[in-house]
Amino acid sequence: EDAERISSADVAVVQERRRVLEDWYNWREVMEEELAEERAHLGLPADPVEELLKAKAAEVAPNGEEQVIE
Amino acid sequence: MRPVLLAGHERALTQIKYNREGDIIFSTAKDQHICAWFAHNGERLGTYHGHQGAIWTVDVDPTSTIIASGSADNTIRLWEVKTGKLLKTWDFPTAVKRVEFNEDGTKLLGVTEKRMGHLGTIVVLDIKVDPEAEQSDEKVMTIVCEESKATVAGWSYLSKYIIAGHEDGSVSQYDGKTGDLIYNVNVHELGSPITDLQWNQDRTYFITASKDKTAKLITAKELEVLKTYVADTPLNSAAITPKKEFVILGGGQAAMDVTTTSARQGKFEARFYHKIFEEEIGRVRGHFGPLNTVAADPTGKGYASGGEDGYVRVHLFDKGYFDFNYEVERERQNRLAAQGGN
Repeated sequence: EDAERISSADVAVVQERRRVLEDWYNWREVMEEELAEERAHLGLPADPVEELLKAKAAEVAPNGEEQVIE
Repeated sequence: MRPVLLAGHERALTQIKYNREGDIIFSTAKDQHICAWFAHNGERLGTYHGHQGAIWTVDVDPTSTIIASGSADNTIRLWEVKTGKLLKTWDFPTAVKRVEFNEDGTKLLGVTEKRMGHLGTIVVLDIKVDPEAEQSDEKVMTIVCEESKATVAGWSYLSKYIIAGHEDGSVSQYDGKTGDLIYNVNVHELGSPITDLQWNQDRTYFITASKDKTAKLITAKELEVLKTYVADTPLNSAAITPKKEFVILGGGQAAMDVTTTSARQGKFEARFYHKIFEEEIGRVRGHFGPLNTVAADPTGKGYASGGEDGYVRVHLFDKGYFDFNYEVERERQNRLAAQGGN
């Protein structure tokens, strides 16, 4: 009887965690979609920094050529 | 987890920041210089000298070209990462407690201290992420905190909002373009200052730490409290880990506030909580004083903590950390893997 009570409590805990986990990922999905839409609407690249890093790399090594340091 | 001890500061740490690639760590302390370190071996990359007072805050732009710092000498300074050259100094009537770049590094906010005759403010500066460029003197925006001074602040996704944490425990959302106050919500215990505010990677939500011994996960858009992490000590800092669904909390009672015994030495701990389930899952000890700042490596490989003891401790996560999962998480991963395989 004790074992049964414990296991039903465990089941409740696990079910609650399953629900909390699903809630979280559902919210993330909605938020990420919304953010992607907003970025697209503003004409911004999906990753705000990627372009900046490319520009910086181009400055360090123009035309994509690697600099040779002797 | 093998820590690397970075001994380069002589005074209490105030803030730690990783660059975007997670290979460089910047640290500030009350000892008036900023340090830069290689994250993988703790070797010092350089120091930035010039401030005339305790340095409260540092941030690095997303391309790791420039850093900004704020100090008790009432200035914000801009430095070139590579050379350590001071590029620009902005003067304010009071100390600068927090600086943060927006997501593309073109704007910098600064939180200024409240003092007799001066209300606390949040100022915004336009930045050119170019060490050769002339930086503008002009403050493009000033938000005055009439009710309760801001202690921390940051830029949301798309620089849409400025979010501030206040001395009274509340959080404000301001329009990122106009500076207009949109919401102010009491999230922490009334009168318990918010000590830190850090973002998740896309800046759609953030974590606050408070002296009320809790940390909270809050949405940028609605200021909705999603999660609460309850600790047993006042908190100074909180960070969100990428890759794994954890948060890291740092704090502790200052030595003068507790009975100091040798048993307590080295027992100031970083606390790990499961971000989604809000449960504590582990602690990492080591500091000899309260943790003033914690930072998560943006690539997910480790974290760093800075203590009142003057040390920075850098930890690389081991296999056990990455393997740790709740049963329901494993279940979900298996389900997704099965779907992906179909």
